[in-house]
Amino acid sequence: MDILFLLIPLSVGLALLIIVALAWAVWRGQFDSVEAEGERILRSD
Amino acid sequence: MHIATLDTGAAQLALRWSALDERAEWEGFSRPLPGRTDLWESYLAIEGMHCAACSLTVEEVLQKLPGVENVQVNGASAVARVAWSPGQGRPSAWLAALQRAGYGALPAGDMLAAAPRIQAQRMMLWRWLVAGFCMMQVMMYAFPAYIAEPGDISSEAQGLLRWASWVLTLPVVLFSCWPFFSSALRDLRNRRVGMDVPVALGILIAFGASSAATFDPASRWGAEVWYDSVTMFVFFLLSGRLLEQRLRDRTAGSLEALMRSLPDGVERQGADGTFERVAVRRLVPGDLIRLLPGDVIPADGTVTAGESQVDEALLTGESTPLQRRVGSAVIAGSHNLNGMLLVRVERAGSETRYAAMVALMEQASVQKPRLARIADRIAGPFVLLVLLASVAAALWWWPSDPVHAISVAVAVLIVTCPCALSLATPAATLAAAGALARRGVLVRRLEALESCAMVDTVVFDKTGTLTEDRMAVTVSWTREGTPAAQALSLAAALALHSLHPLSRAIVQAAGPVSGSAVDVTEVPGQGLQGHVAVGAGGKPYPMRLGSAAFCGAPADAQAAGGPQVHLSDEQGWLASFEMDEALRPDAGPAVGALHVLGLQVQLLSGDLMAAVTRLAARAGIDKAYGQRTPEGKLAHVRELQQQGRRVAMVGDGMNDGPVLACADVSVAMGQAVPLAQAQSDFIVLGGQLAAVSALLQHARRTRAIVRQNLLWAALYNAVCVPLAILGFMPPWLAGLGMAASSLLVVLNSARLARMPG
Repeated sequence: MDILFLLIPLSVGLALLIIVALAWAVWRGQFDSVEAEGERILRSD
Repeated sequence: MHIATLDTGAAQLALRWSALDERAEWEGFSRPLPGRTDLWESYLAIEGMHCAACSLTVEEVLQKLPGVENVQVNGASAVARVAWSPGQGRPSAWLAALQRAGYGALPAGDMLAAAPRIQAQRMMLWRWLVAGFCMMQVMMYAFPAYIAEPGDISSEAQGLLRWASWVLTLPVVLFSCWPFFSSALRDLRNRRVGMDVPVALGILIAFGASSAATFDPASRWGAEVWYDSVTMFVFFLLSGRLLEQRLRDRTAGSLEALMRSLPDGVERQGADGTFERVAVRRLVPGDLIRLLPGDVIPADGTVTAGESQVDEALLTGESTPLQRRVGSAVIAGSHNLNGMLLVRVERAGSETRYAAMVALMEQASVQKPRLARIADRIAGPFVLLVLLASVAAALWWWPSDPVHAISVAVAVLIVTCPCALSLATPAATLAAAGALARRGVLVRRLEALESCAMVDTVVFDKTGTLTEDRMAVTVSWTREGTPAAQALSLAAALALHSLHPLSRAIVQAAGPVSGSAVDVTEVPGQGLQGHVAVGAGGKPYPMRLGSAAFCGAPADAQAAGGPQVHLSDEQGWLASFEMDEALRPDAGPAVGALHVLGLQVQLLSGDLMAAVTRLAARAGIDKAYGQRTPEGKLAHVRELQQQGRRVAMVGDGMNDGPVLACADVSVAMGQAVPLAQAQSDFIVLGGQLAAVSALLQHARRTRAIVRQNLLWAALYNAVCVPLAILGFMPPWLAGLGMAASSLLVVLNSARLARMPG
């Protein structure tokens, strides 16, 4: 079970990385108009 | 011919655009670019954009213009952001260039307010995502502790899991919870206890005790950790806040977008005697202005030449147009209907009657009675009880086991988590607001749903609220041998040539018009005359449509009642039509439904008493009050409130603004003037009055559900606290209990998302 002492800190690090990635997505405006992105497929161009 | 009218239209537009080049006007939709002294950024709402390629075209068109530094077009919101230097560029040139490229544009000053709103939205979304993601990960770390038999997990492994949970709970407490902490601090500084105080207290105590147990397992603060409960609780609460913010911003955004408009211009006489178009805000007393039919009167003044009918319904509630001739006064905000007027300005800007009404409205909104929210009312006693219970627990254990006493006291504080309590109201009101939006009622203030359930009196405005914005033919008399339908059809042929409300009513009542009229002239204050031919090749006969004197109507046709229009031909009087305001089709049933709910219904109007009582009878309202000025309406509602009544006001006009601002609950119709909507808690779209009774009914259901939620929260605490005091509450059971009670509250509230009927 010693591997836990490597894996659990790794998972914490990964979780913190994902939080940073979420911040990047939010502040780039990817969630500002979620509905509009879905409607894009219906547009004619 | 066609091209000529197009040209004059374009010329008129160019005149309106030119007003945008004044600094006072373009500052309304621009702000200085941060860090650049010479550059400003302006926002334009683009009309006619259909695809992504359009936004590229718009960018190209604007980019080429002098003074424009940089253009960005957002295809989804159809808003262009233009960075430009005021020294070299002119906003009117942008609009002209866009017009040539086939797009319309309006200044979008509301985007200035939207930018900080988008920032706040992103911040809240990030807080929510952090809480949600950490919650899931912390639950994974907590899971082994729930399923393991004693001895399965080594103490080192347990320490590791607790440390990992602590690391991921830290961002939740330090970052995601900040709104609760700042609001609790504000409450304490103002010496009151709102719902955020127990929430902040619960989070801090649970996190503090868990941290102590993680880093010092022998701590006297307890040996249990509560990370999963803390993160889940924060995630639930933030979900509620996020939805609430979205709802509020969407309503505010769509209302502000409605107010986008070109600056109002007016024709003013210059020093050389010719008329030129200037922005309304440049008018000063003494100016002479020319008003064409259809213009909005921009200032208070006196008519110096011309004669016309003026519609003051929005300001006074008077339903029939008023005759204005040389020497009569006209007021800002009313509409010039059918003649040209020259008006000497007496009061402009903030001096006008219109501006005085806005001031009265702002003053009244300060004095609006604010109901303390149920949840905030019980927050104080709740905190007190929780603190007392934990002190009692400590005192109970102290004599036998002083080390255990503190950990039990902490456990009591945690078990009485205010989860269900703090979710009870927002979960219910949010679900109800969603259902109301689908029914066509926009909720501007969620808190108002609570006041709405207490309402016992509903006061309606008349013109534009109970009635539609038009007249309808109610009775007609004709000369012997002429069918009423035929007379109506002849009258409509003439009436087609006029924009007067009574003419429009005749056209609407007649349906398809069979005759055609030529040589039609409008005699100001009298009516229309012209030649009407029946059928395709019929011979035209001279006919008149208008007042009794103009058409030689006999006295017996002039019964009392609403306004009348008469028709005559070569042989004299032919027909008379009596008009009244068109009642909204669902007005009667809506008033009936309110009576069924046990509410008193009143009609409060600025119109003449006779018109008000007549309409009240048609709508089934027993209490009607007429000839009230905006101040009079305000006094009436205040008096009702002093009698202990809770008043819901339904209105639409400028003259309802002050009374909407002071009523306990205010409802504006969807087509109401923006200023009236800005004062309302609810906005009813599509002019359906039935939605008003549905709203009140749903508000009552919401209150019932909130009470059920609170009762459940109280029951949960009543069972758990004694168990925790006696030391029978293991942490896994407490955690499960908190989750289950929160979930139950959310599911119970979800019942409000469906509206009966």
